[in-house]
Amino acid sequence: MSEDRTQYKYIGRSLPRVDSRAKATGQARFSADLSFPRMLVGKVLRSPYPHARILNIDVTRAKALPGVKAVITGQDTHGEKWGVFPYTRDMQMLQTEKVRYVGDEVAAVAAVDEDTALEALGLIRVDYDILPAVFTIDEALADDAPLVHEDHPRNRNVEVNIDVGEVDVALLGAYLVRTDTFTAPEDDYFMAEPYAVCARPDADGNIEVWCPNAGPHMKAKPLANVLKLPMSRVRVRKIAIGGAFGGRSEISPADFLCSLLALKTGRPVKIVYTREENTITVRQGHGMVVTHTTGMDREGRVAARSSTAHLDGGAYSSTGPIAVSVPFLCMEQTYRLENVRFHGVRVYTNKPVRGMIRIHGRAYACGVDMQLDMMAADLGLDPVDVRLKNARRPGETTATKSLVGSCGLVECIEKVVEKSGFREKYGRLPKWRGIGLGLNSVQTGFPLGIRGGSQAMIKFNEDGGVSVISGVVDNGQGNDQMIVQIAAEVLGVPPNEVDLITADTEVTANDPGSYSMVSTFAGGNAVRLAAEDARRQLFEVAADQLEANPADLVARDRKIFVKGSPQRGLALAKVVRLALIQGRPVMGQGSYSPRVDHGREWVSNPEGQLSEAFSFGATAAEVEVDPETGQVKVLNVVAAQDCGYALNPMVVEGQFEGSVAMGGQGGMLTEFHAWAGGHCLNPTQLDYQVPLAVDMPPITPIIVETIDPNGPYGAKEAGMSVAMSAAQAYACAVANAIGHYIKDFPLTPDKIVEAIRTRAPRAPREFGSGNLFDHVKK
Amino acid sequence: MPDAVVLDLVVNGESIQVLAPPHLTLLEVLREKLELTGAKEGCGEGACGSCTVLMDGRPIRSCLTLAVEAAGHPITTIEGLATEEGLHPVQEAFIQHGAIQCGFCTPGMILSAKALMDRNPQPAEADIREAIGANICRCTGYAKIVEAISSLSSNREDGHE
Repeated sequence: MSEDRTQYKYIGRSLPRVDSRAKATGQARFSADLSFPRMLVGKVLRSPYPHARILNIDVTRAKALPGVKAVITGQDTHGEKWGVFPYTRDMQMLQTEKVRYVGDEVAAVAAVDEDTALEALGLIRVDYDILPAVFTIDEALADDAPLVHEDHPRNRNVEVNIDVGEVDVALLGAYLVRTDTFTAPEDDYFMAEPYAVCARPDADGNIEVWCPNAGPHMKAKPLANVLKLPMSRVRVRKIAIGGAFGGRSEISPADFLCSLLALKTGRPVKIVYTREENTITVRQGHGMVVTHTTGMDREGRVAARSSTAHLDGGAYSSTGPIAVSVPFLCMEQTYRLENVRFHGVRVYTNKPVRGMIRIHGRAYACGVDMQLDMMAADLGLDPVDVRLKNARRPGETTATKSLVGSCGLVECIEKVVEKSGFREKYGRLPKWRGIGLGLNSVQTGFPLGIRGGSQAMIKFNEDGGVSVISGVVDNGQGNDQMIVQIAAEVLGVPPNEVDLITADTEVTANDPGSYSMVSTFAGGNAVRLAAEDARRQLFEVAADQLEANPADLVARDRKIFVKGSPQRGLALAKVVRLALIQGRPVMGQGSYSPRVDHGREWVSNPEGQLSEAFSFGATAAEVEVDPETGQVKVLNVVAAQDCGYALNPMVVEGQFEGSVAMGGQGGMLTEFHAWAGGHCLNPTQLDYQVPLAVDMPPITPIIVETIDPNGPYGAKEAGMSVAMSAAQAYACAVANAIGHYIKDFPLTPDKIVEAIRTRAPRAPREFGSGNLFDHVKK
Repeated sequence: MPDAVVLDLVVNGESIQVLAPPHLTLLEVLREKLELTGAKEGCGEGACGSCTVLMDGRPIRSCLTLAVEAAGHPITTIEGLATEEGLHPVQEAFIQHGAIQCGFCTPGMILSAKALMDRNPQPAEADIREAIGANICRCTGYAKIVEAISSLSSNREDGHE
């Protein structure tokens, strides 16, 4: 694109977000804030057992309780099973045969108030036949393991196999080969807003639904499926959303239960989850066990890697095929790999359902970078040089055949290394201090079939007011602002004068949602094209009036005028009115479908263009460890990402900083779930430790811009690769500080103290000082 | 215990009588009886800070405070912060510095910040982090929030950004 970027009036500027005023004043409405006349309160009865057959459910006494308006069980449903893919449909919204985890949905009630609804739950009698259960990957894969789903032998849910090049040959020929196993238990979203859904039926058989979502259209379709209604009758409405991080992508049983209760009673129903319900029954991050065998040549080039990943998927498939693949894919984008093998297995266990999370696959990614550090040390090489040698460059193709267009990974590394003083500090810091470097790359969209593209419309009021109509949803990341800034730039109107009609399935057209980091790329491009279409029409009308060539016109400051001659122009409102009177009203349309290989399939054909663009990032973290307590104090974090182009640098920086908190500070130091007999031991905000303001280190965000040729104004995904690279940087920094590689994440004080106390330090303090172990060919 | 009691509340400068069961929390009364939904329930156990309101000018957890305890003590919620002249400076700073992402923690965060500025107009960064140390934000990493509050400090050097 040969545009003069200095001429942008709104794009590329740190403008305050359009949604922030309502949020700062308490006027923004979240799902739990809604209330309607005659609204009922819904509550869900859940399984107390990790695995049990349902013998009988008696709801007689609950139904008889005054104030109870409806009680539903699996018998009231169509028994439909939900799955992200046709081959993963394994989850009923209310269980009819058996329950598979503590928290599985068994029944639901709607009553006049919360106390009555809770009392009614206590009156439902469920007879269970308790079954033996599996709680770990090893238990699930055992020969005689009880089966979570009878049609999946050995509880193997999804398997992904990738084998490119000559892995065995390359490993045999490598100078140094290492095999290491890295593990991490489940982690969690802890989005600020606990799940809540409100459903309101109307007299014509339609149902309106308000709920946190990462794409209203991605909610409406499965909801229509399980309710057996046409999509046009299910209207997922726009609402403020308190964070997603991957945990709001799928239909929730609450959406279905609330809708069904509303349809049965003919009254609005609201279900608000407790924090504990949100943790247990929405989604969690997968537990993971990863083994990387990596071969390196003498100069530090990775010759081959063979990786095995086992994911604890919990009771149902969720986004299983994607979840298995993405840890591998992020790393194959980040590092050149000509010879690579990946064997990923997701297993069912009798635990809550796992989905995608912002730092999905922390064991995998941290393992890759930590192992690179180990091998660099073994070979006496600088860890920065090793990363630079293997880092992705633009124009290359990944192992599974995705062409990488724009790529600023090397620039990210160089800037982070310089700003953090990495080369001066590595190996030269005082005792118990360390520095680490992590690299990552994420996708800007997946092949999502018919739901992969976004459509937008622009309409005008007779006073020149602009409305953008788009299916893009804002979960908190700033997508509303992104749309507004793009439309404002193209049409030459101030952003605060652009009205948004978004994320409402009755009004807005298809959109993939914010799932897969595609909102800016697909939705932003669609809005840009729609605005350009509208502007073209405006220019035609104005050109006639001004006796000018449409190609010579510009739109700016609510005026359309001849370039270089602002006096030869018309007010935008005047042009809109002229168009109306001339019978050619202006209505802009645009759509964008990312160019991906629709033949690519996660399991059956993991090959072809995965995403039209990829973001790349590097983070350096410097830490100080207290050897007595194992506490890690993070002194400094520098995070860089190639986001293509920062449409709003302030918003992009906010994404980086939030990513460091969730990925590095929380994801690598404190966040994990603990279990006993299928019960989550730390489901509450008191027990699960997310970072607080007092925990956070200073963060230096560095925006790297490669101007992607296909992104809107060159923009790609922003921020998510930082969550991953921060985790990797933290892991490597702690190892550098304590002189030992801890391979089980997160790096909690108990593990750090244990490593310091019981084992001789093995991680070298500086490159060049490592021992050559006997697996190095002499 | 009576089924309901009459509560004499002073909320955002307005005296209000509410008939409510005595076991209701202040958060429940604000949200359900007074339709002031700016205060949020994020955890219900005093850990997240989303339900923070000011009582006698001090930040409290409205989810752990019974409404009867609030009787006679002036309560300020996020809805009571802006005046006819415009937004409160803390609200404006949060907007201008990009300190708001999903917005769920924002009302509580802003009220904690306001209480800090009222008692210490020149807070150091450590004071700010401590003052919002019990308000959990999952989106921002707190950086822009700290920047926003720092910008209001009266000893801040001009041009310091």
